[in-house]
Amino acid sequence: MSRVGIVSWGAYIPRYRIRTEDIAATWGDDPQRIVDMYLVYEKSVEGYDEDAITIAVEAARRALRRGKVDPKRIGAVYSGTESKPYAVKPISSILVDALGLTNNAFAVDMEFACKAASDGIIAIAGLVESGRIEYGLAIGTDTSQGEPGEHLDYSASSGGVAYIVGRDGVAAEFEAVYTFNSDTPDFWRREGSPYPMHGEGFTGEPAYFRHVVGAAKGLMEKYGYKVSDFAYAIFHQPNGRFPMRAAATLGFPADKVKPGIVVTHIGNTYNASALMGLARVLEMAKPGDRILLVTFGSGAGSNAFALKVTDVIEERQRADVPKVGEMLDDKIYIDYATYLKNRKMVKLFE
Amino acid sequence: MEHESVPLYWRNIPAYYRLVARRCKRCGEVYFPPVLKCPRCGSNELEDVELPQEGELVEFTVLRSVPTDFLKQKPVILGLVKLGPAKVLGQIVDAAPEKLKEGQRVEVAFRRVVVDGKYGLVMYGYKFRPRP
Amino acid sequence: MIDVWINGAAMMQTGRHYSLNIDEMGAKVLEEALKDAGYPDLDAIFVASATAEQADKQQMLGAYIAARLGLDKVATFRVENADGSGGSALVLAASAVRSGLYNCVAVVGVDKPNDVLSNQQQDIYSTATDSVYERFFGVTPAAQAAIMAKLYLKKYEYKYEDLALWPVLMHKNGASNPYAYMRKQAKVEDVLDSELVSDPLRLYDVGPMADGAAAAVLCNRKGAVRILGMGSATSSTPFNARQDYDVLYSAKEAAERAYKMAGITARDVAAAEVHDSYSIFGVLAAEALGLAQRGQLLALLKSGADLNVNLSGGLKSRGNVMGATGVYQAVEVAWQLLGKSPFKKADGNIGVIHSMGGADKISTVVVLGL
Repeated sequence: MSRVGIVSWGAYIPRYRIRTEDIAATWGDDPQRIVDMYLVYEKSVEGYDEDAITIAVEAARRALRRGKVDPKRIGAVYSGTESKPYAVKPISSILVDALGLTNNAFAVDMEFACKAASDGIIAIAGLVESGRIEYGLAIGTDTSQGEPGEHLDYSASSGGVAYIVGRDGVAAEFEAVYTFNSDTPDFWRREGSPYPMHGEGFTGEPAYFRHVVGAAKGLMEKYGYKVSDFAYAIFHQPNGRFPMRAAATLGFPADKVKPGIVVTHIGNTYNASALMGLARVLEMAKPGDRILLVTFGSGAGSNAFALKVTDVIEERQRADVPKVGEMLDDKIYIDYATYLKNRKMVKLFE
Repeated sequence: MEHESVPLYWRNIPAYYRLVARRCKRCGEVYFPPVLKCPRCGSNELEDVELPQEGELVEFTVLRSVPTDFLKQKPVILGLVKLGPAKVLGQIVDAAPEKLKEGQRVEVAFRRVVVDGKYGLVMYGYKFRPRP
Repeated sequence: MIDVWINGAAMMQTGRHYSLNIDEMGAKVLEEALKDAGYPDLDAIFVASATAEQADKQQMLGAYIAARLGLDKVATFRVENADGSGGSALVLAASAVRSGLYNCVAVVGVDKPNDVLSNQQQDIYSTATDSVYERFFGVTPAAQAAIMAKLYLKKYEYKYEDLALWPVLMHKNGASNPYAYMRKQAKVEDVLDSELVSDPLRLYDVGPMADGAAAAVLCNRKGAVRILGMGSATSSTPFNARQDYDVLYSAKEAAERAYKMAGITARDVAAAEVHDSYSIFGVLAAEALGLAQRGQLLALLKSGADLNVNLSGGLKSRGNVMGATGVYQAVEVAWQLLGKSPFKKADGNIGVIHSMGGADKISTVVVLGL
């Protein structure tokens, strides 16, 4: 029996972009310094009528189309997000009806900052491995918040990815998974608060690097992987610098990391961040390639995966579904006023 | 406080989310909105069928004088779209009107349609966008 | 069969009647029409309104209009067919007399769209579209009219400038109608310079929403003008599923039925008021009534032909009084046949009105004769 893995995937990036320099000009920052600090040139912005739910539906529909998977055979849909349009009311039940799944598909929203979607993948893999379901959908979707003028404003962006996990028609097998979690309050958003708070430099060493590197190292040590075993390494991307530094710490050469970097042109899509990088790498990977994927969620934790690409990948790559690479180029630039409008940060009568 | 009707939205979710139309089992005609009796052949035997997710733009207009729910989104592009066996009238999004052409390929998008104030329901449905 | 005659009629100037309640407006024109008819014993009131419930939060409007005049024990009915309510109420009222049920009834058309904001007017008007499949998505009759205009202009190879001739004619007609809302002439350039509402339709293509009230008293007793024919029809095909967008099916069918009942043809028509809520609908309605061949109305206008259509100025100039429109049209055509001020006498004895709800959802055609 073949291994459980990724059967198909779909990504969705809203078409709107705002340039870092336009945000900086509004708030009196030096754009060059901001770009140098974060290596984010522009970021994706949802349309006025988009949210984490519409983005999830788009990504999931593309995943179903790419893998030609009958929605009635999807046994579970788990959504990872930290920008739910509702405080109470699930995204996943909307997905059941929007995607045409059966009413008997397991459905739940998961929250662990930016890591939840990858926890969804793990949970679904477990359901498939146990034989309880045939296929499952794990989705990372966010329209992440940042206080206007605050540093998150330069990176918090919108996008979604969906992965169909199963045992039939696997394009990338799960070889191993490893996790690293601790109570590290680097970033949070209280109930009712519109924007998250973060610890600036504290988000780096004790949070991102300790957990990302810890999970990756743990995975490699426990399962005996060497850097040379991997063709690609993909890390959570809060900015353009962190993943490169994590890679360097682990000894990965830059050319194995760069293909999976998308943050520079769409910003940090939170739950879709590393998983968007994976989608991009899957569009170019070859059968036999091994991929290291390390997600990260503040608060804090990381999941590290070792994936092995199969022959099925070529068929999936040929599917008539928009590629991440194409979406990076398919954009409409907006000004800061439109950005505020699309993100509903203008105070209106309601 | 005045709020949108939840049952009115809920019972139309199959059409709003998945463009569920109705096909006459006898003559094969497809109807959207769904009918209870086939206007063409009179048959009462009908079945639900989902319209395709891709089609072409037949005609459109840019509406600038809009109802209250759409005041913050004006102008609204409304287009007639041919989706396989049926035509559908709906909003065209992510598009510059001057670049839209009849016959152009469009695909179904899933979007917010009506947001019932600050505390009410967010209602979703189909819209269309140019195929990238 | 019992003949139905218009015994009395009245209307008030359209506009923004901020100081009058909707039932007061209805009562005002009803009193005038009853006076015009010589105060017959009134059996029933048929009230046409498109917005009473939504704009003025009033159901059973007939009962409250009756109360304003002390018309105790009269039967009242409320008729709603969106902006085509007026024509529908006329048919029901005339049918009640024709059947012998009543001797004398009144039709009162009244609406006050200016009691709400412009966006709320769009909310109300959009309830004339399919609420679930059209209104929900932001569709309004204007958008549907615009798509029909685009396809009509394309099919018959007209330019927008050709369509602009309709509002120009309406403004010319309405300029001399003291009951009208927009009483000024307009040039083609004015139309072309006006703002886009829903392309290709511009501000001048859209009948401005106006408050208004009109009433007619219909009796089996001989009066000046007789109702010769009536036809009503729905066009049930949803807008999105139409085969053709260059024809008003409901108007065509209603006209055929009304003409047949009256025993007339389009050539006999000396005066006509059609429902031009949007200029394209005026053009299509005139064609549906047989006043021009399909696709040829604008060619007629371009050739400078004299059309006896909408001497009131139509919805464009008289104003879109929504559900009251059909009743206004009946009064206008009756007065045109009689040559009663402000209208000069029509060159013939036969007049028609076309009342329509939404974008070709329902139409009523009524033939009046001396």
